[in-house]
Amino acid sequence: MSKMKMADGSTILRRNRPGTKAKDFCRWPDELFEEMDSTLAVQQYIQQLIRKDPSNIDLILKMPESQDEGVWKYEHLRQFCMELNGLAVRLQGECHPETCTQMTATEQWIFLCAAHKTPKECPAIDYTRHTLDGAACLLNSNKYFPSRVSIKESSVAKLGSVCRRVYRIFSHAYFHHRSIFDEFENETCLCKRFTQFVTKYNLMSKDNLIVPILEEESTPGESEA
Amino acid sequence: MEDNTLNHQNGGQMGPQGGSMPSNKQIEEQNPKAQYSIPGILHFIQHEWARFELERSQWEVDRAELQARIAFLQGERKGQENLKNDLVRRIKMLEYALKQERGKFHKLKYGTDLQQGDMKPPVIDEGFDSQLDTDQSYVSVPNSTWKQGRQLLRQYLQEIGYTDRIIDVRSTRVRALLGLNNNNAEQEENLNGGGGGVNGNDSNKRASDTQGRRTPNKKTPGSLAEAMMLDTEASVMANLDFLSNADVDMDDDDDMSDEVDLEGADDIEDEVKVSSKHNKEKNDNNLGLGDDVDAIALEVFNELNRLSETEKKQDIKTEQGDWNKGLNDDENIDSSLGLGELAQLTVNNDAETTYDIASSKEAFRKTWNAKYTLRSHFDGVRALAFHPNEPVLITASEDHTLKLWNLQKTVPAKKSASLDVEPLYTFRCHAGPVLCLAISGSGEHCYSGGLDGAINCWNIPNSNIDPYDLFEPDILSSTLQGHSDAVWGLSVLNSRQHLLSCSADGSVKLWAPHSKVQFLNTFTSEQDGVPSSVDFTRDETNRVVASYASSHCVIFDTETAKPVMRLESGQETANVNAKQINKIVCHPTLPLTITAHEDRHIRFWDNNTGKMVHSMVAHLEAVTSLAVDPNGLYLLSGSHDCSIRLWHLDNKTCVQEITAHRKKFDESILDVAFHPTRPYIASAGADGLAKVFV
Repeated sequence: MSKMKMADGSTILRRNRPGTKAKDFCRWPDELFEEMDSTLAVQQYIQQLIRKDPSNIDLILKMPESQDEGVWKYEHLRQFCMELNGLAVRLQGECHPETCTQMTATEQWIFLCAAHKTPKECPAIDYTRHTLDGAACLLNSNKYFPSRVSIKESSVAKLGSVCRRVYRIFSHAYFHHRSIFDEFENETCLCKRFTQFVTKYNLMSKDNLIVPILEEESTPGESEA
Repeated sequence: MEDNTLNHQNGGQMGPQGGSMPSNKQIEEQNPKAQYSIPGILHFIQHEWARFELERSQWEVDRAELQARIAFLQGERKGQENLKNDLVRRIKMLEYALKQERGKFHKLKYGTDLQQGDMKPPVIDEGFDSQLDTDQSYVSVPNSTWKQGRQLLRQYLQEIGYTDRIIDVRSTRVRALLGLNNNNAEQEENLNGGGGGVNGNDSNKRASDTQGRRTPNKKTPGSLAEAMMLDTEASVMANLDFLSNADVDMDDDDDMSDEVDLEGADDIEDEVKVSSKHNKEKNDNNLGLGDDVDAIALEVFNELNRLSETEKKQDIKTEQGDWNKGLNDDENIDSSLGLGELAQLTVNNDAETTYDIASSKEAFRKTWNAKYTLRSHFDGVRALAFHPNEPVLITASEDHTLKLWNLQKTVPAKKSASLDVEPLYTFRCHAGPVLCLAISGSGEHCYSGGLDGAINCWNIPNSNIDPYDLFEPDILSSTLQGHSDAVWGLSVLNSRQHLLSCSADGSVKLWAPHSKVQFLNTFTSEQDGVPSSVDFTRDETNRVVASYASSHCVIFDTETAKPVMRLESGQETANVNAKQINKIVCHPTLPLTITAHEDRHIRFWDNNTGKMVHSMVAHLEAVTSLAVDPNGLYLLSGSHDCSIRLWHLDNKTCVQEITAHRKKFDESILDVAFHPTRPYIASAGADGLAKVFV
C-alpha cells in the first residue's frame, strides 16, 4: 500500500493547485483516453483536445472507438453550453433589453423563450441567459441524465431541442453583435465546431443553420472575420 | 537509690507522671495500688481503645477488599459487555466498508448508483450509542470536579495504605486475563462465554482456519485489552464506593486508572504484541490466498491504522517506539504490512474515542447525511459559501459561472434519498473559471475571484426570485481590478467590510469593496513566492495570514503591511512543493491557524509563537479544503481522496467520513463549508456537483 503511494507521488498528478498561474491552468501532459479510468473520462478527453487546439475540429469531434455515441454527444453538448457562457458574458455588455427587445437573428423569426410556462417574448439577453440556464438544468437533470457513462435513448432525443435553442445565441450574436461574435469565434471556433457537430450527428436540420460559417469553411482561404 | 528504682518501676509501668515528684513515703504507700491508679486505668482504657480501633480499621480494610472483589467481578462483566458491543460495532463497520467498496466498484463498473439508498452510515453511530449507554455512568461528570475528587481520593487511599494493594491486585488481574487470552483458548472461551462469545471464540478456536477470519482475529487482542481498560476503570470505580461512605464525593476514577494504566500499559502492549505474532501466521496464510474480501479488509485496516496513528498521543508514541525497537524481524515484516501496529493502536484509539464521544455527545452527536444534491454546473465546482442565516448557498465553478441555490426550493427527485435543488440565479461575468468565493456577513454581497484575475462584487439577489426573471445588470456591483493573474483565495472580515484576496501574481491584497477607495494594501513575501490561500486571523483583526506554495505561512500586519510572524514547517526543504498548502483557515476564537497540505497532512499552528502545535495525516490524498464550524469545535476537511472528514478539534479525532464526489483527472473535492448558523455542511467537487449534508 505504502509503496503504491510512493509510486503515485512520482507520477503526474493532473491538478490545478491553488496558486497555479492562469497560463499553467490545466497545462499538464495529455492522458490517453484508454487510460482515463474516471467516470468523467469523456469530458476530460474532450477538454484536453480543445485545450490543445480549439481549431482542430475534426480531431475534437472524432469519437474514440467503442465509445457510446449518446454519451459522446451529451458530453459535447455540455461543453458547448459551458463555453457559450463566455459568449453570454460578452453579450451582457452590449446586448441590452432596450436595444434587442426580442430574440431575433434574421428578420424571419422571433424566437420565444421556452424557459417559461408559456413561452415568452424575452429580450435577447434574457433569452440567452434563460436558455443557457434551462439547458444547464436539463443536461444536469437527475431525471433525464442520471449517469454520465450511459444515457437512455429517450434522453438522447432531448439533445436536439437543446441544440436548436442554444444555436440561436450564435445566430443573434452573428447578426446583431458581429464584432463580439467574431472576436469570440476567433478565440474559440465554437460556432464552427457547433455547426459541424450538429451536422455530423444530425441534431439540427440544415435550414436552421443560418450562420454562414460552413460555407466559409469550404473555402478555407477566407477567414471567419 | 531506692527512689531511683522505684521511680524507674513506676516509669516503666505508667510512664513518667508529669512534673510533680512524690516523696518516698507516698510512693511506698501507693505502690501496691499503683496498677489501679487513675492514670493507669486511663492508660489501659486508651490502650484497649487503640486496639479496638486497629481491629476496626482492619475489618474495614477487609470489607473494602471484599467490595473490591465484587467490583472486579462486576467490572469484568461490564468489560465483557463492552467487548461484545465493540466487536459487533467493528463487524458492522467492516460490513459497511465492504458495502461501500462494492457500491463504489459497482458504480465504477456499471455507472449506476447501486444501493446507495440502502447503505446506512449510522451503523457506526449505533455502535457509539451502545457504548455510550454503558459508559455513561462514569464519564458524565465535568472535568474540574474530577480533579478535586481525584486528589481527595488519592489522599484517602494513601492514608489507608490501600493504593499498592489495589494496584497489585489489579495488575495481577490484568495479567491473568491477558494470559488467558494469549495462551489458553479454552479459558478464553469461558471468559467470552457470557457476552461476546461468538466472535471471541471464532478468533481463537479457529486459529488454523484460513478463511478470511482476520477481522475478528486482529481485533480481539485490541478489544480485549480495551475491555481490560474498561474493566480496570469500572472496578476502580467500585472500589471507591466504600470511600463514598466516608463522605467522599464519588466523582472520580481517572486518577486511579491513570496509575493502573502506567502499570498495565506495558503488560497490555506486551501481550498484544505477542498475540499479534500469533495472528501473523494466519495472516500470512490469508495473504497467500489473496481473495478480494481480504484485500478490502486490508484496505480498511490500513485506513484505520493510519487514522489511529494520527490520534496517538505523543508519549504513547515514544513508548511504542521503544517497543518497536525490541521487536524481532517477523514483527517488522508484519508492521511493514501496516497490520502489526494495529492492535496497539486500536487500544489507544478506542480508549480515546469512547472518552471523547461521551464527553462531546451532547454537543454533536449527530451523523451527517447527504440530503441535497446541487447539479447544474457543467464543470468542477471550485468553491462554495453559505448565506449567513438563510438556507441559501452560492457555488463557483470552472464553467465560468456562480450559482445561487435555495435549499427550500427543491425538486422532488426520483430516488427519495436525496433532494435535487435547481439554481435560482446564475452569476455571469468572469471570462474564465471562477476559483474562489466569499459571502459578506450581512448576506447582501458576495465576492468571487477568477482565473481571469478579476474580483467581482455581487449584490446577492433575493432568495425567492424567479430563476427566469429579467436580467438586472446591477447585480454586479463592481469589479476589483488589481491582480494580474488568477485569484485563488478570498476572505471577508465582517466587522470592517474588508476583503482579502490572494493571487498567482504573488500578491495578497486588502480591499474595502464598498468604500470610495476600494484598494487598501498589498502584502508580499519575496522569499515565499506565490500565495495559495488567505484568511484574517480572527482573534486579532488587524492581522492577516497567507499560505504559500513554499509550505510556509506568513502573518502580516494590515497597517504596516510588514510580516510579523512566520509559521515555518522547516525541516525538509528538499521537496517543498509536495508539502504545498492548499488552504489556510483561522480558528474563529483561538489564536490557531490550520493548514491543509498537499502531502495529506493537516497542520495546526499557534499564531502567537509561530510554532506548529500539531500535525496529522488526515486523508489518503492531498487535503484541499478546510472549514471550521462557527463555534470552533469541529473541523471539516476535503481531499482528492473523494472524501470529506469531520474532526473534533479538541483531540483531533475523526468523527465522520463521507465519500462525496468523483474524480476528474486527479482532482476530487475542491471545497467544504459550514453554514454559519444552521446545521448544514457542504462539499464541492470536481465532478461538477455540490452536496449539502444535514
